[in-house]
Amino acid sequence: MGPADGPSCRKGKVNGSMDERTTYRQYAIEEYVLEEEPFYLPVADEVELFTAAYEQKIPVLLKGPTGCGKTRFVEYMAYRLGRPVTIVRDVTGQDTARTGLPLVTVACHEDLTASDLVGRYLLEGETTRWIDGPLTRAVKAGAICYLDEIVEARKDTTVLIHPLTDHRRILPIEKLGQVVEARDGFLLVISYNPGYQSALKDLKHSTRQRFMAIEFTYPPREVEAKVIEHESGVSREMAEALAKLGEKVRNLKEHGLAEGVSTRLLIYAGKLIASGIPPRRACQVAVVWALTDDRDVQRSIQEVVNSIFE
Amino acid sequence: MNRKGFSSSFDYLEKELASLSPSLAADFRRALAKMPPVWGPDDIVRWAQEGLELARLAWRAWEASAEYYLASPQVLGLLGSVSFWEWARHGRELTSVSSALAAAYYRASPSTLPIIGPEGLGRWVGLGRHLYKGSWRSASLAVQFFEHSPTLFGVMSLAEASVLVRFLDVLCDRSYDLASHCLGVAPHVLRPLQGEDRLAFLRFAEELAAAGWADARAYLERGPGLLAQVEPSQRARFLSLASRIVSEEGRQAFAYFAEAGRALSQVPPELHGHLLGLAEQVASNSPVAAMEFLKSLPRVLPRLKLSELGDWHREGLQVLQMNQEGGEAYFRLESNRAEEMLDALSSRLELNKVSDVLRMYCKALTGADVAIHSAEALAQKGIGWVRTETATTEGSAIFLPPAVDEFEDKARNFSIYKVYATHQAGHLEFGSFLFRFEAPGNVFPTLRLEREQKRLQEREASDGHRQPLTDMERFFDLFDNRRLAADLFAIAEDTRIDACILREYAGIRADYRLTQVRELERRPPIEELPLVEAFMENLVRASLGGADHLSWPASLMPLLKEALAVLEAVQKPAATVEDAAEATIRLYELVASLPNVSMDESQEDWQNPEEADTAQVSPMSGAGQAEQQSQQIQGEEQPYRSPQPVEFRGEFKPELVQLLGRLRQERQAQQPPSPLSPEQIKALLEKSVEIDLQDGGEQDLQQSSNLFLTNLKRELAQEEQEAQKDKQRDRRRTTGLSTPDPSDQPLAPEPRYYFYDEWDFRAGDYKPRWCRIVEYTVAEGTASYFDQTLNRYSALVNQTRRQFELLKPELFRKIKRLLDGEELDMDAVVDYLVEREAGVSPPGKVYWRRNKVERDVAVAFLLDMSASTDEEIVKHTRRLTPDDFDDDPRKYFAWWMSRRAQELLSPPKRIIDVEKESIVLLIRALETIGDTYGIYGFSGYGRENVEFYVIKELEEPFGERVKRRIDKISPVRSTRMGPAIRHATYKLEQVDAKVRILFLVSDGRPQDHGYGRDRTEKEYAIHDTHMALLEAKRRGVVPFCLTVDRYGHDYLKQMCQDVGYAVVPDVESLPSRITQLYRELTR
Ligand SMILES: Nc1ncnc2c1ncn2[C@@H]1O[C@H](COP(=O)(O)OP(=O)(O)O)[C@@H](O)[C@H]1O
Ligand SMILES: [Mg+2]
Repeated sequence: MGPADGPSCRKGKVNGSMDERTTYRQYAIEEYVLEEEPFYLPVADEVELFTAAYEQKIPVLLKGPTGCGKTRFVEYMAYRLGRPVTIVRDVTGQDTARTGLPLVTVACHEDLTASDLVGRYLLEGETTRWIDGPLTRAVKAGAICYLDEIVEARKDTTVLIHPLTDHRRILPIEKLGQVVEARDGFLLVISYNPGYQSALKDLKHSTRQRFMAIEFTYPPREVEAKVIEHESGVSREMAEALAKLGEKVRNLKEHGLAEGVSTRLLIYAGKLIASGIPPRRACQVAVVWALTDDRDVQRSIQEVVNSIFE
Repeated sequence: MNRKGFSSSFDYLEKELASLSPSLAADFRRALAKMPPVWGPDDIVRWAQEGLELARLAWRAWEASAEYYLASPQVLGLLGSVSFWEWARHGRELTSVSSALAAAYYRASPSTLPIIGPEGLGRWVGLGRHLYKGSWRSASLAVQFFEHSPTLFGVMSLAEASVLVRFLDVLCDRSYDLASHCLGVAPHVLRPLQGEDRLAFLRFAEELAAAGWADARAYLERGPGLLAQVEPSQRARFLSLASRIVSEEGRQAFAYFAEAGRALSQVPPELHGHLLGLAEQVASNSPVAAMEFLKSLPRVLPRLKLSELGDWHREGLQVLQMNQEGGEAYFRLESNRAEEMLDALSSRLELNKVSDVLRMYCKALTGADVAIHSAEALAQKGIGWVRTETATTEGSAIFLPPAVDEFEDKARNFSIYKVYATHQAGHLEFGSFLFRFEAPGNVFPTLRLEREQKRLQEREASDGHRQPLTDMERFFDLFDNRRLAADLFAIAEDTRIDACILREYAGIRADYRLTQVRELERRPPIEELPLVEAFMENLVRASLGGADHLSWPASLMPLLKEALAVLEAVQKPAATVEDAAEATIRLYELVASLPNVSMDESQEDWQNPEEADTAQVSPMSGAGQAEQQSQQIQGEEQPYRSPQPVEFRGEFKPELVQLLGRLRQERQAQQPPSPLSPEQIKALLEKSVEIDLQDGGEQDLQQSSNLFLTNLKRELAQEEQEAQKDKQRDRRRTTGLSTPDPSDQPLAPEPRYYFYDEWDFRAGDYKPRWCRIVEYTVAEGTASYFDQTLNRYSALVNQTRRQFELLKPELFRKIKRLLDGEELDMDAVVDYLVEREAGVSPPGKVYWRRNKVERDVAVAFLLDMSASTDEEIVKHTRRLTPDDFDDDPRKYFAWWMSRRAQELLSPPKRIIDVEKESIVLLIRALETIGDTYGIYGFSGYGRENVEFYVIKELEEPFGERVKRRIDKISPVRSTRMGPAIRHATYKLEQVDAKVRILFLVSDGRPQDHGYGRDRTEKEYAIHDTHMALLEAKRRGVVPFCLTVDRYGHDYLKQMCQDVGYAVVPDVESLPSRITQLYRELTR
């Protein structure tokens, strides 16, 4: 499915670009529906927990380092819970043509403001028109709304979600003077990486107290090997070696490395290997250099790589 | 002619002589009687008359005359008539100058002349005469010269002596005592030197003395000893090299000579010639550099091969030709270039260079906090490990040899380290020390419990059995021959570990195999070993993958084959350490049947087991059969010796490691410190084969086990601290947080050390690791100082706070008229609509957005705490003098009293006080805007001791402790700015901020002991400081210098080139100025 056409297209606008005659910016929405079940290997009881949370309408906090499968897990759950998926990459986007966004993923960043989530007025013709933000749309549609890396967002935006997370399940829209009640299927899911703890980027207690938390760690060696094998298409042995590397490198967490290597990076290494890059080199670019700039640490990891791969 | 005939004719003469001195006549008579019969009466009379004339030459000249007479008989015999008169003439001349001198001359003549001969006479006298300068002291030196002449010339030639005299002559100008001392020791010290060397030695002495007399004595006394260290044929060469330095370095020359000499003594003598040749090449450009080169040799040579040294030398020569100071620093090893060159050329790999990498590598492999240390360190601990060049582990750390230099290149030497480390890490990763006695293995059925049962039954009657301390001990208790069992277990377990490593780490296989092959080549000849040892040797070889290196008597082949099968089994993936133990039992049983006797090679057919397969000698098979065979072997039983160790596997002491592990656990569990008693330890030591204590009887054992126990305890306590440190270091790496956890705070008083390079502008290079920063946290005083200061300045405090508050909104400004933004800007929208209505096509800039730039500033204030900040601030008010009081002392006194009273009320302010007040104000201001800030002070003395004081760390929250520390800020010593700036920069680099500022507050130019060529040189310090500031800039830190030195403009222009700075001439305005400057800087 191509980029969705917003209302401005009706005015003869070119996709996503600015035009002298338009008064607002148009963002493309990247949207796709998963036709197949996303591949996800459960590590512990996270599937059961999430299902229960969904039934009981308990907001979920997915806690864990980058690239350990949180996003994939939400996608998988969305699919399992019987919902096709739409991902909104840019939050100022809008899509009025379609209704019901079962999974809305918002990648939070430091410029993310409240209006980016809730909605804003746009100029249209002689008047202004209100347009719902992704959170509002998720609330109205009864979708799973996944706010990825919530701590990255500005502090004031996180407060916004509070009323949605308690028994009220409402979203106040100040600008409109409205309060939207969440539809039945709505579930708020946020993710948070406790790894790079710094005083600035910690989740507020008032926020975190509103979620049940599922902890994600990198999958154990055997599971991870299967994931790598599946995702990158390398041989069984190679996938196992990569998983072994992952395990060894993670031993360095807090000892030279802020975070262990992510499953994602290991998959990248696997993909490079599958494309014919020699394993040591592939790990160097996808793991060693990706992880750190500290020479000594680089050297140490490279030595681990050299020990594992011929 | 009858001489007696003359006697009457001498009556007159004798009377004359007697009138001068009664003894003189007697001396004359005695001499006359001894005169050889060479002369006729005329000559005799002339001779006698000469003495009288001598005696009359001066008051007390009779003394010289007496010596003349007494020496004459011998001298005449030695010289013959002609030369005799010459001798006498010299004597008379000397007498006319000083009779004491002459007397000494005459007296020394009989023993001296035989050595120097008649032809040397003139020069000899000349030398003595030369030393006499008319003064009493010079006379005594000259006298001493004549007196010592016999011994002197017994050692040296006239030519050498004349150099010595010139040397003495120079010394005389300074001190006759010194000259006299040197003359006195000269014969003795010069004796060991050989011909040519002596002259060269004396020449150097002369030059040295001319340049500076102070070291002359030291040189003379110690020089020959130093010179003796130099290869004999090279001594003269070395001396002439050394003397080239005199003209340049003058007084330092001896130090250079001595140090270079000492350096050469640490280098193989056969290289001296070659090395001096290299030094001579350098000397043509700079004699100093040549000596520096020699001095550096003991540090350079262990790292370089001779050919590499040539390259290193050549590089230095090039540097020298471009820049003399640079070259000298290079050869002195005080330049980064020299170090880098050394490093690049040297194939030798030192552990400290790679220990960080290896530590993280092992940490990754094992998942445990393993430290890496030099094996020397472990041996020093005295807890059972003794070898200093071998890899090993004691369960928590891995110990490796201090350096590896086996291959020609560093990379291959590193791979050796890596193999060593991987093997030791393997013991940790694959659980060698987790052995549990009762746990079953995965490969072998368990025999341990049964065996233990049996032994306990056997033993029950005899002695009370002590409960073993560890599982490992319990296991070894199963064997009578513990050493044999320990060796077998080591082989089995090492085999298992190596198999695990090769299986798990495909990448290291190549290096590992290579190492194994090298080990195999080093094994001792197997056929010469007694049977048991040969058996063990076969196992070791097999464990190294050396199937084709095995050799064993054909008749006993089944025995070995069975053993090899056992060893094979521990290599299975499922095998655990318990399987290695089970294998040990089985192997032990096999060996037990063998006698340890030497086999007669000719009788026995030694074979490789694989060959044996094809050419089967005996159809019998099975170990039982072999056992029978072995019983028939005859020979003398030999004491068992352990197999030669396998280098890369190092030392394996599982029993000790488990003991340490148990002690560690007890400490961690905070149980009463070590319930292990010395008695228990002693019992363990007696049994264990892993520790060698001198077997000097009961007493010694008691002592060494006590010592061992104390060592153990100390070690465990230390370990905890070390682990803390490593953790902190890594945490710094990962998070950039330089502040340790609050829980670590009590450790604070311990100083922390950091090393920094220093820029030598003359050499155009850094001096590597030149300065040592010692970091302290400032002690705590009272917090009231802080609060009082705030009160005193309340007006200024409020004013600055307001100003700083103004900074804030500026940073959250709304930016309007954007094409895209947070919200519509309604004013703009109205304009837009109006314009469109009017037919203009307006640009759609109708949004606003908040400026996303949050203020994200980290600043480190660096305060000059040098002694000069102790100075009182000179007020500009005119000093009153008594003149101003119309000479009325009462008025003056009244004025003086009132001034004193005022001073007592408010003591005169010092620069440091103003600095402190400024800090108080700054803190107030900074707390309002929320910038990250650190406050540091620096001072120190010399490069080894640059003190860096922490008042507040960058990420430390402000609080009472910080307040109390400010109270304690006080002037200390010198001002070495460069390293302090570098350290502050390092601290800033550790924090996460968009803008990093280093704010230096000083009261004058940088200066410190050794911060420049001499005390007066100022440029060096300025240049280094400037460089440090530029480095900061390069690292993304904005440096800013503020000085209260009114004359600061002079040097700040140079020191702060390309760096912001300000001069605050009026010190008392510092508090307001500093806040203002900071505000401007961060706007
Ligand atoms: N348990 C798992 N099952 C399947 N794939 C996984 C699993 N864990 C991690 N992955 C893989 O790791 C990659 C990164 O995961 P992702 O969900 O993007 O991480 P996160 O959202 O935690 O940063 C995914 O592309 C997926 O292939
Ligand atoms: Mg993700």
